[in-house]
Amino acid sequence: MSLKTDRPALRSAAWRVSFLATIAFACGTMVIFVFIHQFVSNDINRRSDAWLSGEIEVLGDVAGRTPRDALYSRVVREIAELAAHEVPNKSASEGNANNSVFFLQANAEGLPLLWVGTGDGRSNLEAIKTTKFLPDKPTDVRVSGFPVPFRVACLQLGDGSHIYLGLSERDELGVLTKLRLRFILLWLLVVLLGFGIVFLTTRRMLSHVRKISEAASRIGHSDLSERVPATRRDDEVSQLAHTLNRMLDRIECSMHQLHTITDSLAHDLRSPLTAIRGKLEMSLAAMHDEDNAEAIVSAIEELDQLTDFLNKSLDVAEARADALRLTRTQIDLSELLETMMDLYEPSMTEKGVQIRLHNESGVIVFGDEGLIHRMIANLLDNVLKHLAPSSRVVVSLHVEGKMALLSFEDDAGGFEPEVLQHLFTRRVRGKASAGHGLGLAFVDAVARAHGGTVEAMNREAGGARIAVSLPSAPEETRQQLIVAEQAG
Amino acid sequence: MRLLLVEDETEIQGFLRRSLQEAGYEVEVAPDADTAERLAIGSQFDILVVDLGLPDRDGISLILRLRELDSKAPVLILSARRSVDDRVRGLEQGGDDYLTKPFALAELLARLRNLLKRNSPQASEATRLRVLDLELDLLRREATRGGQPLQLTQQEFVLLEYLCRNAGRAVTRSMILDQVWGMRIQPDTNVVDVHIYRLRGKVDGAGQLPLIRTMRGVGYVLKDR
Repeated sequence: MSLKTDRPALRSAAWRVSFLATIAFACGTMVIFVFIHQFVSNDINRRSDAWLSGEIEVLGDVAGRTPRDALYSRVVREIAELAAHEVPNKSASEGNANNSVFFLQANAEGLPLLWVGTGDGRSNLEAIKTTKFLPDKPTDVRVSGFPVPFRVACLQLGDGSHIYLGLSERDELGVLTKLRLRFILLWLLVVLLGFGIVFLTTRRMLSHVRKISEAASRIGHSDLSERVPATRRDDEVSQLAHTLNRMLDRIECSMHQLHTITDSLAHDLRSPLTAIRGKLEMSLAAMHDEDNAEAIVSAIEELDQLTDFLNKSLDVAEARADALRLTRTQIDLSELLETMMDLYEPSMTEKGVQIRLHNESGVIVFGDEGLIHRMIANLLDNVLKHLAPSSRVVVSLHVEGKMALLSFEDDAGGFEPEVLQHLFTRRVRGKASAGHGLGLAFVDAVARAHGGTVEAMNREAGGARIAVSLPSAPEETRQQLIVAEQAG
Repeated sequence: MRLLLVEDETEIQGFLRRSLQEAGYEVEVAPDADTAERLAIGSQFDILVVDLGLPDRDGISLILRLRELDSKAPVLILSARRSVDDRVRGLEQGGDDYLTKPFALAELLARLRNLLKRNSPQASEATRLRVLDLELDLLRREATRGGQPLQLTQQEFVLLEYLCRNAGRAVTRSMILDQVWGMRIQPDTNVVDVHIYRLRGKVDGAGQLPLIRTMRGVGYVLKDR
């Protein structure tokens, strides 16, 4: 279980979900900000323009009406300075408030008549001369020496002179810059917070899902008693767990029923078989006549075949329903194969079949000993029964990845195509085959029950190949076993 | 030897009682667990044969009950079930044995003998086995017949040793597979027979009395007289 939690967070679904959600959230809030920013800056512009238009009208009025005497410049200057104090959006600037506003009167020839503002106003006049003004609409004027442009309104007086009222956009840009800065900071904070919350929530939720899937994968073919963990909250995840558990209940129930049926079938058939076999044996023991004995002997042999068939049929039936009951122990497959070869070798030699074993040592599987023994015996019986004399068979066992791979390769005729198709289904056998035809179906059943597979094919070089793969016990489990054995 | 047979199927009861009596056991039969309990309290038995599927109670609970009542007799469990119950495995580890139905009589008798032997005080293990003129040195893993050494492989020696230990009694193929190769399998080919033919070829030379006899329908027996 700890294997899965080790996987990098960057590859987890929680990461993906929160990453995408954050991107969507960030983009959305950014779009909203751009709208607000646009709105605010337009509004500030509108206010400045309204002020400029209003003030220049007043100034124009005053300038127009005031007689051009010695007091003229003082009066207009007073009015202009008064206006400068009422600048909208004005930020508290350092000392001289007037550096954001200027007033300029220029005669028809473009020479300055009156200047109110910071400096001598020459550069302002230069800039104004190169700018084209629209009537009744303030225009942006870039003055050298000032980093931000002035918004300048212009009015022509009756004597042909122009008055200009300029308002620096410094303050409005300052407001907007502050707005942007604060927004970016807040935006980053909110996005990070949002990412964190989404990530933690999804991870928490998905960890429940992962626990469920881990528990579900632990629930093996044969052990259905375990259940997936359910959370106390009534959300989708706990519903998933409940649904899975209900499904497992149903599967366990039908599995139990299948076991009851096969068990009672086995019981009901085995009892009479026992009685018949016993009676046959007793009459055989009481018999001294060899000829009559023959009939009883063959009856006993057939009875044993029938019993074997019954056992295998029920095993195959249960395995097909993934309901074969296993009692797992640690099995040294290499050692087992050696012993099996020892057992079968004389029969092979007798038949003229050459058999060789390529055996990797120390191949361990966790399996049902009885079933694995019978599976290998079936495979070797299969060789004995189907191969022509002077055929060669190579049996090899090795570990490939996490699987123990046991293969049988021969150089005989291979499988007939129609047999190959249904090799592992029940009761299929070749034309020349003896037996009840359950052998390979049983091999398939056992391999499947252990989480393995069986493959059969005709080799390109001629002959057949049957390969059984079973999950091999991983190295760490083997180590644990060794430790446990030493401790116990 | 007093034996209590707990079995409800009359057919099986009948032939088992007769075969066991022929094998020299003094047999009492109980058709259900209650009768068995009463009989076991009433008198001492040397060994019990208990079927798992009893009409009134599970065979295992009967065995556990008898153990509570301080019965020390070993039990051979007969089972027609497909899977071996964990509790049966427990009993097996505790020194009892089980046999799946249907079984060969020879195997039943062999298992009973084993149980009794296990339960009796250990006789010092012999290092030599002798059956007629066949002699096995268990320490040096050597066999002679009429004084002539036999060239046996390791496996053949183990097989012959098993036959010798059961001399005069039939052993089945599945008993040989279980005891000599350690496997409870039922091959549908004659693998055991081929081993026996080979062994016979070495043990029963030309002109000698054939010792290894085939008992058709049962298995093999090593003659001891």
